[in-house]
Amino acid sequence: MTDLLFLAFAAVTVGAAILAIEARDLVYGAAALGIAFLGVAGLFFLLDAAYVGWFQIAVYIGAVVVLILFTVMLVGPKKGETPLGLKRVSLLAAMLMSLLLGMTGALANATAFPGPDSCGSGCDLSLFSTSLLKNYGVPLEFMSLVMAAAVIGALALSKTDRGQ
Amino acid sequence: MAPVLGPLQPIVDMLTSPLFLEIVLFPGLLSIAIIGALLGWLERKVTARVQLRIGPLYASPAGGILQMFADLIKLSFKELFVPENSDAFFFIMAPTTGLVLGAALVGLIPFAPGLQIANIEVGLPAFLAIITLSPTLILLAGWSANSKFPFIGGLRALFQQTAYEIPLWLSALGVIMMAGTMNLGQIVNAQTSGWFILPQALGAFIFLVTSVAEMERLPFDLPEAESEIMMGWQAEYPGVLFLAAQGPGFVKLYAFSALFSVMFLGGFLGPSFLPPLFWMLLKTLLIIVLIMLLRSTFPRVRLDQLLRAGWTTLLTLAIINIGITYILVVGFPTL
Amino acid sequence: MEPLSSFFAVSVILLGIGIYGLTTKRNAIRILFSIELIYNAANLNIIAFARLRNPPIVTGQVLVLFTIALAAMEAAVGLSIIILVSRLNADIDLSKLSKLKG
Repeated sequence: MTDLLFLAFAAVTVGAAILAIEARDLVYGAAALGIAFLGVAGLFFLLDAAYVGWFQIAVYIGAVVVLILFTVMLVGPKKGETPLGLKRVSLLAAMLMSLLLGMTGALANATAFPGPDSCGSGCDLSLFSTSLLKNYGVPLEFMSLVMAAAVIGALALSKTDRGQ
Repeated sequence: MAPVLGPLQPIVDMLTSPLFLEIVLFPGLLSIAIIGALLGWLERKVTARVQLRIGPLYASPAGGILQMFADLIKLSFKELFVPENSDAFFFIMAPTTGLVLGAALVGLIPFAPGLQIANIEVGLPAFLAIITLSPTLILLAGWSANSKFPFIGGLRALFQQTAYEIPLWLSALGVIMMAGTMNLGQIVNAQTSGWFILPQALGAFIFLVTSVAEMERLPFDLPEAESEIMMGWQAEYPGVLFLAAQGPGFVKLYAFSALFSVMFLGGFLGPSFLPPLFWMLLKTLLIIVLIMLLRSTFPRVRLDQLLRAGWTTLLTLAIINIGITYILVVGFPTL
Repeated sequence: MEPLSSFFAVSVILLGIGIYGLTTKRNAIRILFSIELIYNAANLNIIAFARLRNPPIVTGQVLVLFTIALAAMEAAVGLSIIILVSRLNADIDLSKLSKLKG
């Protein structure tokens, strides 16, 4: 059962990711990107990270994809993209880099690094929230600072051309 | 149990298993369809009574209760077409996906102890995460029709989402803090000593307002304001597709009212002389009627009013509510 | 549960698609797509490594929560830059974007 689910989620993720990059219409590309995020959320569910999976759905599809769709519709259809003429080289480079990383990953021993918050039987929600607020409280605060900066920055960017 | 039916036994077992019956009959698909149609009738009847009209009357002896089924038959015989120069894929996909998501919401609700399709640890965030997808679908539906008013409706849905989404999540946080869990069944069980509507009165108010905004019902029905932009994103939908575009509204009304009674009114808890399911449905019905009365008593807000209210008043109140909840749960902070 | 290598493979393929899009596309929105895909590859990797090590740790989920929030902020700022560029330039093709050149 898990095998079938894994294969389905993996196939959906990879297929939708390719479609997102290659779809001619940007709206279709954005929708495919949403499907790819959904597939990744499904893989998170398989990895017992249900809360992060739902968070991924809410933030990525509920906020990021809808923002991208809005931008695509606002900016409007483009007069075709200029092809770079480096397609084959880029494909080769991407494959080579992935292969290299894959080899590194195969060498990495997942047990080598000691973890501060090991969960014996399963990583449940209470352990997750305790770890988030106790061990990572300061990064969380910095995160909200960065978030405020991002909101202010986005507002400032969208206001600058009022005068022109 | 001995297999008496030979090779058919697994199929019969599956068809009579409790989960299958729950998914197909109650609280699953069949009951969602029937309740959605009945809510359509109830809404017309309640609105008509408030406006001193009679409302649907002739479709059955019992006060036109079959009116929506008559409408359903009428709409399904209308010509089904996709407008010229529209994007057929998203035009058809968006409302049907909306229906599926609405049904998925009902599957997360515990209607009685054990009567719940998906009992997951993070039920409340899952519900809210599924809800965030609907403005995306409305934007796509409005864009795909390739027509002015639908597109304006889709953009309004997007702007409206930015106004209500953050207060909605923050008001749910108060309940999570009180109950100490995100599982909806355990949230109900945490209310045996007292419903959360009293300590969480502010949170309940914010949740009600933002969920009405999320459902796009009348004080906040900007994406489909029929007197401004002619049903907004639904304007171009013909026949059965119009039904599919309207349906999620009623399913979401049902699901959100059930969630409100689970979060604040003790869900299926109640005096034991009647079954828990009765109490759950009674509370849900009360909330539904309350939201319908809102529809017929309040005028529509403007988009800028909604955005200002969401980002100033509601957000501030939600944060104050979290502070109050902290004091209730932990006690006064000592330095 | 699937072995770590299969999740890792999906992550690497996503990363490859992201890099390919980043190097071949010149539309700013398409480049944002690629960056988001790379983010997702990294997130999947972190969660898979944290869950499938022995014993599993919860730190991976915490980190991914941070990355998701960061990616959302990055998208918000990036998209407002794209809208600004499209207003000033009437095109969001990055290879034609030469206003800053002296």
